Amino acid sequence: MKVVEAKIVVLGSQGVGKTSLVVRYIGKMFSKHISPTIGASFFTCNINLEDARIKLQVWDTAGQERFRSMAPMYYRNANAALLVYDITSANSFASIKGWVKELQSNVPDPMILSLVGNKCDLESCRAVTQSEASQYAASIGAAYCETSALHDQGIDQVFLNTATELLKLSSSSLVASLRSYDSTEYDEKLPIGIPSEERATHTGKIELPAWSSEFKLGETQKNMCC
Amino acid sequence: MIFASKMPSLRIDQSDLKCKNGCDYFGNPQWQGYCSKCHRELLQRQRRAEKASSATLPKPEQKKPERGIKLASHSSFSKFEEKRLRQSETLKKANLLKFSVFKKSSTDEHDHTPERKPPEFKIPALINEGMKREFRVRFTNLPPQVDRDARVFVHSFIMDVIKCSNVMTVDELSERVQRHYQHFMKYMDTSPHFANAESEIKELLIDFVEKHAMTYLHDLPGVVFSPIGTEDERLDRAMSERIQQLSWVGEKHLECKLDRTDSACSQLLYKAISELLAVDGAAGPGGKLSRVRRACRHVLALCGASASADDLLPALIFTVLKANPPRLVSNINFVTRFCNAQRLMTGEGGYYFTNLCCAVSFIENLTAESLNMDKKEFDCYMAMPASIGGSTWAAALSLCGAAREAAEQRAAARALLADVATLRAEADLLAANADSFEKEIAFKVNDVLANTPLEIKPRREPLRLSSLRNSSIPLIDLETPVDTPAPMKPSEDIPQIKLPEIMPVEEPVTVTFDRTTDEKITQNIIDFQSLEKPSPPKSPQNQPWELKQTGSFELLTPSPLGFTPFDSRSIDELMTPDDFGSDHLAPGLSNINYDIDLSDFSGDNSLAEDTPKEPKDPFSPDGIKKEPVFDPFQPQTSQSSYKNVLEKFDEFSLIDSKSNETSEAFEVVHRTQDSCTPAAAEEPGDPFSPVQKEASILDDSGSPTSACLLPSPLQPQTR
Repeated sequence: MKVVEAKIVVLGSQGVGKTSLVVRYIGKMFSKHISPTIGASFFTCNINLEDARIKLQVWDTAGQERFRSMAPMYYRNANAALLVYDITSANSFASIKGWVKELQSNVPDPMILSLVGNKCDLESCRAVTQSEASQYAASIGAAYCETSALHDQGIDQVFLNTATELLKLSSSSLVASLRSYDSTEYDEKLPIGIPSEERATHTGKIELPAWSSEFKLGETQKNMCC
Repeated sequence: MIFASKMPSLRIDQSDLKCKNGCDYFGNPQWQGYCSKCHRELLQRQRRAEKASSATLPKPEQKKPERGIKLASHSSFSKFEEKRLRQSETLKKANLLKFSVFKKSSTDEHDHTPERKPPEFKIPALINEGMKREFRVRFTNLPPQVDRDARVFVHSFIMDVIKCSNVMTVDELSERVQRHYQHFMKYMDTSPHFANAESEIKELLIDFVEKHAMTYLHDLPGVVFSPIGTEDERLDRAMSERIQQLSWVGEKHLECKLDRTDSACSQLLYKAISELLAVDGAAGPGGKLSRVRRACRHVLALCGASASADDLLPALIFTVLKANPPRLVSNINFVTRFCNAQRLMTGEGGYYFTNLCCAVSFIENLTAESLNMDKKEFDCYMAMPASIGGSTWAAALSLCGAAREAAEQRAAARALLADVATLRAEADLLAANADSFEKEIAFKVNDVLANTPLEIKPRREPLRLSSLRNSSIPLIDLETPVDTPAPMKPSEDIPQIKLPEIMPVEEPVTVTFDRTTDEKITQNIIDFQSLEKPSPPKSPQNQPWELKQTGSFELLTPSPLGFTPFDSRSIDELMTPDDFGSDHLAPGLSNINYDIDLSDFSGDNSLAEDTPKEPKDPFSPDGIKKEPVFDPFQPQTSQSSYKNVLEKFDEFSLIDSKSNETSEAFEVVHRTQDSCTPAAAEEPGDPFSPVQKEASILDDSGSPTSACLLPSPLQPQTR
């Protein structure tokens, strides 16, 4: 069976229910492992599809505006992003657009985006219409879903959809940071440096391919065998 | 701080980021503004230039003086660096000093042999040993080839890193290290040795390898931890100062929901802080990561039940501000560069580490806006001396520390108390055991005494002496015991014979005998003694007698010692003019006496001897003079009856009455056989038996004294 390891980052403004969304999903799957008394912001879960298993690492992020500048550290090497907004808050939806732009400019690898309108139980206070959201989702190539963390609606769908897309991604294109255990794909599973703007400026990892050509493969191999 | 410049506030124009050479790649400040390719080329050019000019000028020294100095501390690994150092050495004598400081191991070579080959760098065997040991513990199921592979890999890995550390920039080195990790992983996937290993095991293995390699490298100065050529150390200081400056930042500024009055809260904070502080102590990147993870878990718990990332980050920032961990930047950079990237990107550790990086980055770039406060106020706070701010939390934390210490002390005290309790219980048990043992022994003794009456004792000579003197009982009575062949029986025989005689004299004594305890036995003995003492003065001849008795005791002792009774030593030493009645006699003469006596009296049993001796003494005054010579051997005879007492003494020493000097300790030879065996069998051969017989003549003095003598060394000295 093919195993895909993926990192999924949850983005969105403060108070849109990112954590509740994740906790609701994870807590349902592994109620044993998540103690209700201790908060959490990092989760792992396995999603079994028909012919593969997706190991998801969910990174929750701080939504406060003042930490916005730290976001790149979180979504670096992420394979999927949940863009969560509050359907009762137009601002949260507007900030999603900012996130998407940032992702598009900073993340070179293809990324599975999911637009999630949370708090759909508050239909009466809706500020972002469904059509508007779905239109936008289509424009950025994201799946769109409305959920309610309170009533546990649509959350499974979001994760399942993401997992399926990740599986497709892992088999279709070469995404370095997406690690999959397929016997033939060992070379791909290693997160080789991604030529992204912010990394190039600071660590120069963009040069990695040049290095790999210089690095003598035989050297370490030989050393290890003797 | 790598992440620092990612801040939007620090965004730089792209053109500024391009390589200085003008190629399309981005440059890097750590590469002096070049891209890595150009920088490497530049470096190579420089190196070539250095080599060319190595004989003349220490170019590198001039170029980057601070680097050259630092390199001295760890350059023993690199040929290149050593060459460089030697140049500087020849040029500047002052550098010699540096050498001797930094390179103790190879200074000698340095001083004298300019053409010496570079010291072969050896990785301490300790690492290998440590790996072997841990491998055995952690990976019990894996074949030994895996262990070997891991060790070989670590070895080549360390060597390679050390080799490269001087010629590569940190980022190049980091890349190389990551390559090593990847190669090891690849190797694990392809090698047949690892065919059976699960992917989890493989991850553990890579962690294992990383841990051991990095733990060693971490401690080498300037190789991987705050390496030369980076500003890590300076940044560490800057960060530390910055945090100190920000000590006024409280939970309200960061909008985290912490209750400073809650003791549980401050305790959690305390735990988180201590974990953060411990990060610096951990050697490997994995260890550091796990510390960070633990710290963050505490922080998360600190935030309360429904904590999320929204709460975690502010609380973590707050914790870092309060902790001010040492060498924070160096540690973070070390982990980012040399931790297995795979793990750093993923997993809980990676997540929390990212959070920590965010926190550090936030602190670095903290402004009035990020705290939602007025610029003026912020400036005011920043101008405030660091010592003023944050006193509440500092107090709470120190309280926490104190509380924790108190808790530890309490735990220690409790442990001590438990120890004392167990000790007491054991002592009680011991006492109970002793009690029961005592009772048991007493019971047994009673039992034994009941079965075998102790009337043996009445048979002792002192009684007879007195009785003899009083009643002048004829020899016949005394000879009858001689007839009794078995020494073991006397208990039965003697009472019959003796008791009637003794009874009148010492009734109380016999009564005490019936009692069973040991104490009383000893008392009895003492009684005997006291009885004896009065007896000698009665006869006028007793005075010399007594002297001779004492002499006899001294002579007595050698006899049990030796199978050579006439050992010249024993006699010569012990014979003093006083001992022998005749002063003019030479010691040699006394020896002659012995011989004669032996022949005369052979054939008597030890037990039997006792009795005959007594009667003769009073009757033959001549014998008295001989007593001292013969008495020595008597104690043996009396031993049989006092065996139980005698057996307690393995050795005894005599005290010279005159000089009060204690003689050598004498060993008591317990001879059960002699006493038991019939006289006929051994006596002719026994040198002792004749002597004993002679002693028997002197019985009065000999037997009683001997009886008392042996058990209680007190007696013999009494004159």
